[in-house]
Amino acid sequence: MTIDATMVGRSYAAAESYQVGREKIREFAAAIGDDNPAYTGDDAVAPPTFAFMLGSRALEQLLNDEELGLRLDRIVHGAQKFSYTRPIKAGDDIAATATITTVRKAGDVEVIMYETALTTVDGEPIATSTSTISHNRADA
Amino acid sequence: MKAISAGEVLPSLTVTFRREDLVRYAGASGDFNPIHWSDRMAAALGLPGVIAHGMLTMASAVRVVTDWLDDPADLVEYGVRFTKPIVVPDDADGAEVTFSAKVDKVADGLAEFDITAIFGGEKVLGRSRAVVRVS
Repeated sequence: MTIDATMVGRSYAAAESYQVGREKIREFAAAIGDDNPAYTGDDAVAPPTFAFMLGSRALEQLLNDEELGLRLDRIVHGAQKFSYTRPIKAGDDIAATATITTVRKAGDVEVIMYETALTTVDGEPIATSTSTISHNRADA
Repeated sequence: MKAISAGEVLPSLTVTFRREDLVRYAGASGDFNPIHWSDRMAAALGLPGVIAHGMLTMASAVRVVTDWLDDPADLVEYGVRFTKPIVVPDDADGAEVTFSAKVDKVADGLAEFDITAIFGGEKVLGRSRAVVRVS
């Protein structure tokens, strides 16, 4: 099957929560070359784009929906936005749910927008991530 | 919390992405898409060569703003469009990208910044915007 506008509204919860660790934050900050002191130590917060990683387990579920027929190696990331309620901190246990919000088709290309809600496992809102991806079905 | 007015410009930031930086980002982020480390796989997808992760570019761009903030937690919203790939050659020079930010408006305790990312004389991010709490 292939994705179409009738699939807007489908939601995919990450199979497992993501436990944020101090050392993972440090590793991520080092990888983006950011030596901001806020990202190290006992009270470390995560750099803003760390939030994208927290949504990846929900995205995995979305990509595993065979009815959508999406393949990771045919996807290009077109746009990304985050809205933050509070910073992500070491010790947070984060649940992610991705919901398809828009599907547009142009020939072989499907432009899909999905929103990922990031909360603590207790339901405290943390951030919302909005992603736009292009999936190219040519030669599929 | 910082104060700022519309039209003000923050100090720019120039970052060099080398292959090793892409490998390190792949490892830290878990994004092992081979277009970010294999010329062969990048060419198979019609790319001129290995390209930087969009999320790495996005992470670097917002540093212009978070380096200026007293507390990066004052960032409330941040979005970009990935408009052009950054090709990262397998050499010592890598790809040099320069980021800058200008205040578009200030209202209700929030400042909106337009962020620009220039690589090879061209913009690589579109509609790149950060909203931060200010005093």
